[in-house]
Amino acid sequence: MSERTATGVGSALRRTRDAAMLTIRRRDAALVFTVTTAGYLLVYLWAIGHLAPGLGGFEVVVVDGAVGQLFTQARGPLAFRPVARVSLGPLTYLFSLNTVLGAGIAALVGLNLALSYLAYTSPRACGVGSQSAGLLASVPALLSGSACCGPVVLVVLGIQASSVLLTAFQLLLPVAVLALVVSLVLVGRQVNGETV
Amino acid sequence: MRRPTRRGFLAAAGLTALAGCVGGDGTTGDAGLGSTGEGATTDGNATDGADGTDSATANCGPPDETGGSPTPRPAAATDPPDVTSTNTPWPFPTADERLPLPMSPADLREESRSGGPSKDGIPSIDEPQFVGVDAVDFLDDRDVVFGVVRDGVARAYPQRILASHEIVNDVLAGDPVAVTYCPLTGTAMGFHRGETTFGVSGRLINNNLVMYDRATETWWPQILATSIPGPWNEAPETRSLTEFRLVWTRWEHWRTRHPDTEVLSTETGYARNYRTDPYGSYTPLSGYYEDGSPMFPDLSDDERYGPKTVVVGARTADGAVAFHKASLREGGVLTGRLGETPVLAVYDPRYDTGYVYANPDERSVSFDADCGHVVGDRTTYAPDSLPLERVYAFDAMWFAWSGYYPETTVTDRR
Repeated sequence: MSERTATGVGSALRRTRDAAMLTIRRRDAALVFTVTTAGYLLVYLWAIGHLAPGLGGFEVVVVDGAVGQLFTQARGPLAFRPVARVSLGPLTYLFSLNTVLGAGIAALVGLNLALSYLAYTSPRACGVGSQSAGLLASVPALLSGSACCGPVVLVVLGIQASSVLLTAFQLLLPVAVLALVVSLVLVGRQVNGETV
Repeated sequence: MRRPTRRGFLAAAGLTALAGCVGGDGTTGDAGLGSTGEGATTDGNATDGADGTDSATANCGPPDETGGSPTPRPAAATDPPDVTSTNTPWPFPTADERLPLPMSPADLREESRSGGPSKDGIPSIDEPQFVGVDAVDFLDDRDVVFGVVRDGVARAYPQRILASHEIVNDVLAGDPVAVTYCPLTGTAMGFHRGETTFGVSGRLINNNLVMYDRATETWWPQILATSIPGPWNEAPETRSLTEFRLVWTRWEHWRTRHPDTEVLSTETGYARNYRTDPYGSYTPLSGYYEDGSPMFPDLSDDERYGPKTVVVGARTADGAVAFHKASLREGGVLTGRLGETPVLAVYDPRYDTGYVYANPDERSVSFDADCGHVVGDRTTYAPDSLPLERVYAFDAMWFAWSGYYPETTVTDRR
């Protein structure tokens, strides 16, 4: 990597960090972040089947040895075994390490959208080309839910799974994280902290 | 005896009298299939609490011959296998005769593929708990359950729970058993597990669950019920498990017939949402279960029926036979051949299930659809109590059956 490239990347990262700090200081950007993060997390949990209509009632059930099972893989890589069930009337929520993963991805999506919002409202923002990238990058993680055998989305679409496709689905979460980070830097460098 | 109105059809073309059935003494038919009644498999005790008295209409009397009540003894050929009669190195009973395989055990291993989950990623239920009917508030009337009765103990295993676990290591009337279900092939099968337990390997063959036993870590494809090599046991002796019948039925049917049944509890030791089935639904039929391709490439190239069409299949060392279940439901009785032996399939409206009997003498019977009885000569029988040798049979999706048993004969009403 040349010195000029390294300097450019460093500058982009600094501006992204500064822009991220702005989302805390600006109430409207913080609202965009919070709503997007919470909304995405709910959609993610629904997509992987950990938030769904349940059998009813109100109770919290934690399995024996929950901490030990927390890192147990269930239905594939990065799909972990639920260790607690929360029944909230018609809804049932399952807690697993995927909630933590989902929260991290949701925060990245929220940050992407909040920075896009800041870039859009900034008078010196240099274009809106990457403002939608964060949303696009958020899609793969939503497709990563799997049934007992095979990804749920294939069941829904009636597509037969191949080994290649199955491998591709196992990469959806890391791909989503990488895409969201790249998108975050791209949009973050467009935000001028001094003028927002 | 009241003679019921008959709108069934003759099951066999021959008009041979059902002489052996007239006596109705509950004994076995004359001749049976070589691989049944040899301590390998039992088909008859799945519903042995049924007394055959809940006729389809109020005008129907009970059949002359039933499975008995309150603790009936099924026909001799349907007794549970003698699990101590086999002499194998396995810590569980194996069958005296090996079931047919579509290819060599080594080739079957090559056909295995990952279904996504790792070994035990789908956790079997190893400490099942049961509740009574009054405590069951998580089942709708039309929900699918897999029922079995053993020595007067009736148990129901809800499909919506098994969809998340696939194997229940249970003890049924003192007998250690594995109750297994594969959602992708629509097969529910019971096995005797002896001193070990079975787990889910995470691999699939022909979309079918590959179990493994935790004593020798040998792979056991569920439908084939026969050991094949795998990475955890490279060269196991090729043997078949001993099986027992699970009745695939609806909760309302099972509960009506067995009001004292025990039901697998949702308190499985795992945090699951047993309301949801990621594949679809049987009530009404939708999603993966309804139509379309299997989840993964399968072994079948037989397109006589849609891949998900349900057949009642039976296989022994002599061959395989399948009965189109919708045809069986419609006609009540169908005939076919299992190897060289004529067989008979009978519909049981009490459970919406079918039974297969060896019928070497090609005796003629008909089905009384109004009463749900099987009529032979002047005697009526409950569908599960014909005095013929019962052959172990179970429901399966067509692609799974024809993929594993490409030489199967098949019977429908077309």
